[in-house]
Amino acid sequence: MALVELRGVCKSFRKGDETITPLDEVDLDIEAGDFVSLMGPSGTGKSTLLNLVSGIDRPDAGTIRVAGTEVTKLSRGKLADWRAANLGYIFQTHNLIPVLTAYENVELPTLLLKMTSSQRRQRVELALEAVGLSDRADHYPRQLSGGQEQRVGIARAIVAHPKVVVADEPTGSLDTETSEQVQVLLQRLNKELDITLLMVTHDTDAAKIASRQLVLDRGMFREVGLDETSTVSNA
Amino acid sequence: MFRYVLKTLWRHRTRTLLTVTGAAVAMFVFCFVGSVQEGLHRLTTGSDADRNLIVFQENRFCPTSSRLPEDYERVIAEIPGVRDVMPIQVWTNNCRASLDIVVFNGADPKQIQQTRPLKLTSGDWQQFQSTRDAAIVGRNVAQRRGLKVGDQFTIGEISVRVAGVFESNVPSEENLIYTSLQFLQYTRGLDAAGLVTQHEVMLTDTADPDRVASAIDQKLRAGAVATKTRRKGAFQASTLSDLVDLIGFAHWLGYACVALVLSLVATTTVMSVQDRIKEYAVLQTVGVRPLRAMRLVLAESTILCVVGGVAGTALALTALGFGGFAIGAEGATIAFRPSLGLAATGTVVSVVVGVLAGFIPAIQAATVPIVSALRQA
Ligand SMILES: Nc1ncnc2c1ncn2[C@@H]1O[C@H](COP(=O)(O)OP(=O)(O)OP(=O)(O)O)[C@@H](O)[C@H]1O
Ligand SMILES: [Mg+2]
Repeated sequence: MALVELRGVCKSFRKGDETITPLDEVDLDIEAGDFVSLMGPSGTGKSTLLNLVSGIDRPDAGTIRVAGTEVTKLSRGKLADWRAANLGYIFQTHNLIPVLTAYENVELPTLLLKMTSSQRRQRVELALEAVGLSDRADHYPRQLSGGQEQRVGIARAIVAHPKVVVADEPTGSLDTETSEQVQVLLQRLNKELDITLLMVTHDTDAAKIASRQLVLDRGMFREVGLDETSTVSNA
Repeated sequence: MFRYVLKTLWRHRTRTLLTVTGAAVAMFVFCFVGSVQEGLHRLTTGSDADRNLIVFQENRFCPTSSRLPEDYERVIAEIPGVRDVMPIQVWTNNCRASLDIVVFNGADPKQIQQTRPLKLTSGDWQQFQSTRDAAIVGRNVAQRRGLKVGDQFTIGEISVRVAGVFESNVPSEENLIYTSLQFLQYTRGLDAAGLVTQHEVMLTDTADPDRVASAIDQKLRAGAVATKTRRKGAFQASTLSDLVDLIGFAHWLGYACVALVLSLVATTTVMSVQDRIKEYAVLQTVGVRPLRAMRLVLAESTILCVVGGVAGTALALTALGFGGFAIGAEGATIAFRPSLGLAATGTVVSVVVGVLAGFIPAIQAATVPIVSALRQA
């Protein structure tokens, strides 16, 4: 059974009289250890898909199963617990808590899990080391550069050793150079820590680092080869 | 997680400080009002107020206008149920309501020592009993007027030497100055030789106060001056009736203070949560449960309220402890004292109001629509 499994998932939004249905009966399987990039024109429902997989939004129909858990069946409180243990979310804009230091931001998810304080410290230090920011642990988000902030955000997403990490345009607000650093980092996390990644991106270069490239267009997933990636139109 | 709450409060120090100060001021007033209420309550309860009777001239209110023969004492003492009678001459600097009322009670010094619930904190009884113009001063008056043993104290026609300062478990006693009966009777302008203002009657343990009171009035009806006898608490409450109404009304002020703290802290917390609604969406995405988010907000509002409320309460109790405040009229006074009950009430009110104030913003934080909050720039 696939690690992430979507079956017949529908999601529509109502805007006044108009109803938009970005996801209509979509199916998707992601295997453990996969690094999937997801591209597609703007407004096709890529972010919506991530939100459904991470359980911060609910589908109108269909089932979503992650690591054997049917997330569509969980209550809001249970979903939060489930996310704390199983899911990491990397935002486009890092969304760090401004009053907390880099260390405290990364520590946050571990506070929600049962572990000793030394285990906790070890986890946080490892995560910061993985993103190369051990020396910035005591800095506040405003004292960090955009790329560093994003790396702290990534450390926060992986610190609890989740089964799946989703990333919504993680390099979308970074310059080319820092964007490349982050891509390399994500690739390393996938290879070295065996983290399953689902990444939405508009950046063909970023998509290339993934092991599997998907395109979502008009409610349909399309598998594309590496060489095809650059031809995907991104409106 | 608690650190997150503290750091958030610290980040908006100005707002935090203003809210805490506001809560402190309101709770200060709340405790002051509470102490006035307690003072009034004490005046009419307790064994001193309930088991002692005051015999006063009928239809007279101000102590200067009640003039009873001193030898009524012997008549009253014969009535069954009466244990002891103490003739008292009262002199006050102000018959109207005042915050700085000085009330002298002249009575037999030996009898004062035996029957009144007083404890000298400085000076000695010997000095008081042997010197004609000696006076012992209640702690509140001493505090207010800065009096200590050996001081000469003059007010109006009266000039006394302080022979002692006393405290009492009956707070209104602490607003009094005791002198000997003769000294006050022979004060110029009082012309009260053989006359006293009132008789204080102490009862035997089994006597029914109201029955003894009417027996006294019955018996003295035949005398030169008709009397009205009441329990001491009832007597003081009726003497202070105007003030009693006013003070009764003041408890609304106390409620207003609580409402003020509630709305102040609630406003601050609502603002704080709405400013950071996206932060709560992020926290829940990371895995913070809605209930936990709620607790974070409640902690925030409760901290604001408790820090401010406890500070205000502590300040009020300190002021009450050192100020020796009292309000009085016509020779009766209400003492405002700090009390443990007041401290407990102030603290409990702060906690409860803190939790209530955080309730609505806590629900907002817990039920934040995660996706649309995250979409906000
Ligand atoms: N809360 C909402 N209310 C109304 N419409 C919404 C809401 N969320 C998403 N939509 C609509 O659903 C569609 C899909 O949105 P989504 O954000 O998933 O697109 P996307 O593929 O991530 O686009 P982009 O590449 O620009 O980020 C869009 O047309 C959007 O307007
Ligand atoms: Mg999107």
